[in-house]
Amino acid sequence: MITQTNPIFSCYEYNDGLYDEVFNAQGETKELYETLFKLYCGHSIEDYMQLNNKAKSSFFNQGITFQVYGEKETKEKIFPFDLFPRIIGAKEWDHIESGALQRSRALNLFLWDIYHDKKILKDGIVPMDLIGSSANYLQAMIGVDPPGGIYNHVSGTDIIKHSDGEYYVLEDNIRCPSGVSYVVCNRTALKRALFGVFNHYRAHTVTNYAENLLEILQSVKPKGIDFPTCVVITPGMYNSAYYEHSYLAKAMGVELVEGRDLYVENDFVYMKTISGPQKVDVIYRRVDDLFMDPLEFRADSTLGVPGIFAAYRKGNVCLANAPGTGVADDKAVYTYMPQIIKYYLDEEPILNNVHTYHCSRPEELKYVLEHISELVVKPVDESGGYGISIGNKLTKEQIAEVREKIKKEPRKYIAQPIMSLSVHPTYIDESQSFEQRHVDLRTFTLLGDKKDFVLKGGLSRVALQKGNLVVNSSQGGGSKDTWVLKDN
Amino acid sequence: MPLEYSITYSAENHYENLVENAIWQFLIIPEDSDNQSVKDVKFNNSLDSPVSYSENSQGFRTIRVTPGQPFKDISFTASFKLVKEQVNPFDFIPPQDPEKDYSTLESLEFRVDHDSYLRPTSYTTLPINSEPGFQWNREQDIFTNIQELNSWVYEYIKFTPGVTTVETTLEELFKHRKGVCQDFTHLFLALVRKHRIPARYVSGYLHQGSGYFGDSQMHAWAEVYIPRVGWVGFDPTNNLLVGSNHIKVAHGRDYSECSPLTGVLYTLGENRTSHAVQVACQQ
Repeated sequence: MITQTNPIFSCYEYNDGLYDEVFNAQGETKELYETLFKLYCGHSIEDYMQLNNKAKSSFFNQGITFQVYGEKETKEKIFPFDLFPRIIGAKEWDHIESGALQRSRALNLFLWDIYHDKKILKDGIVPMDLIGSSANYLQAMIGVDPPGGIYNHVSGTDIIKHSDGEYYVLEDNIRCPSGVSYVVCNRTALKRALFGVFNHYRAHTVTNYAENLLEILQSVKPKGIDFPTCVVITPGMYNSAYYEHSYLAKAMGVELVEGRDLYVENDFVYMKTISGPQKVDVIYRRVDDLFMDPLEFRADSTLGVPGIFAAYRKGNVCLANAPGTGVADDKAVYTYMPQIIKYYLDEEPILNNVHTYHCSRPEELKYVLEHISELVVKPVDESGGYGISIGNKLTKEQIAEVREKIKKEPRKYIAQPIMSLSVHPTYIDESQSFEQRHVDLRTFTLLGDKKDFVLKGGLSRVALQKGNLVVNSSQGGGSKDTWVLKDN
Repeated sequence: MPLEYSITYSAENHYENLVENAIWQFLIIPEDSDNQSVKDVKFNNSLDSPVSYSENSQGFRTIRVTPGQPFKDISFTASFKLVKEQVNPFDFIPPQDPEKDYSTLESLEFRVDHDSYLRPTSYTTLPINSEPGFQWNREQDIFTNIQELNSWVYEYIKFTPGVTTVETTLEELFKHRKGVCQDFTHLFLALVRKHRIPARYVSGYLHQGSGYFGDSQMHAWAEVYIPRVGWVGFDPTNNLLVGSNHIKVAHGRDYSECSPLTGVLYTLGENRTSHAVQVACQQ
């Protein structure tokens, strides 16, 4: 079937150089999507316009919004939702799931090691200087034993499918990874818009995330506690992910608190309630490390709880994720992931790493400076897609600027080959048609004491600008419902 | 003969506006160690606010005070009694094989183990292209060199209260070469670490009445890790090896980890209608 005949795909370009997840080079629908494609062709473009507008206003009315930092006028934005779902088959998912779990476990062992025996550093596998010079390596965490030995209770792994059809991990997010609430909202939104399509596929649920998160949090309770009181701590309603914080608290059935709702007495943490103080045992924290305790870290923080770190150090309260995890999702540490996995698990990495050049190494710096137009240059310590330059999109002047920037602070930058993210049909308002857009996938992995969980689904983020490779929501990306199919 | 010490620490705070909410943390209790044992700790505040005890991230004891009512003035008094063994600072076997010790400094294992105290911090970063002029003699053992460095810092900086603050960097210090104990200590730490030897900041009390600098305030000095010997105390402010007159409270990478008083205050601004919240850090 030649798809151009259908009006809703009239503007769809089949670009040979890109990996299309739905259509092959001849424009034929891949097996996984055949049924779905037929169902979608049964609707007119007017239907999609209407559904798209409905979905937009539904997200806005529910307050499923976010804010972008650093813009002059801060206003709430919705995270655009795309009507065409992404499907991942059972076998392919097994590969992703085991790979994401493997990485999370390896990162957890790595964190334990660098805050205790430092074996991997003494063996010279990872350079001490890389860790010691990282602003996210918390001296205060050295020698601290987190309950259950868990540091990265929640990991968000960003994965792409390259033009070779293989999955590659772009980065691990193990501080306060966000986005899981969108996974659930996208599913709900698609069910509302096109519930009929779900009858033809057996997709795993995604609404079980919160109950699993609660079990994970309960599993890392302090010693001697039978029924832990768990809470979610948020920086407050002006945080870009506030909707998610409130969603998770509500879905887990626990309190959503801010720093001022808690206090510390004799190294125990209490929540102020209308019926008096209530001891808190496990805190799912969405406040950054340095803001958690003004007595220990940033004294000007009003978001934290004075004295909470000493309570944590004594083992009287568990913080998830543990403070100091940021050192391991540093983009420079990322490049050592294959060695880290091998070192702690004695396994080969299941998911690929993208080859990385360290600008801190003179010979690699030389290569990077000469090949900026073919590389993606990233600062090692920024998140949210800030400060990234993509070589083939730069003018000569911009290339010179980037070169100067790197020369000034080589340690601050890494470079990678430009990865081609796979493309997926995405409804575009302006052309009123489906077009090819780049997508990535963020998976969510939970680690607890003798329990782990990978959400069968994830956040497929889509770059809405044509040809754009940066999919972060703060950079104007949208997202898709992502179905993981059950084994037949 | 063990020595008995009693120490009092007092602080007074006055605020222009009523302070509604505050928390203070004191790092002022002498540590318990092999040669020092604390017998009694008393702590009072003028508001009779609740006091609790905790530990900082290095495991040193802290005192916390949270006033339960608004106030403009608050004062604190602490008193400690302790017993200290007589310490002979030269009481260790002098290193016989300097080359061996220098090579220990270069081993990866040693550098990883002591990374925290080898790395410059914001307080102990030497200005770029600074040539302070101290000459390290590789022919001599580490201890002798550090003793010479101790004297060198003592000569280089003129003890002058009021010129520097707890935020003074080495760059500023180099300009006027005047300062107090934390300035001497930071410069000393920076130069020791520059020679790839672990060194840490120590805060504590200096026995009064000996005519040394630093007996009316809390004092600061340094400890240096010498291979095969361990941590040895140096007081560059007084050109001394640390002995029985030095009563240690805590150590850390620099002043910021040993600050005697950390306060988090939430107080209303002058304009009461604005409902503004101010957070001030009290050192």
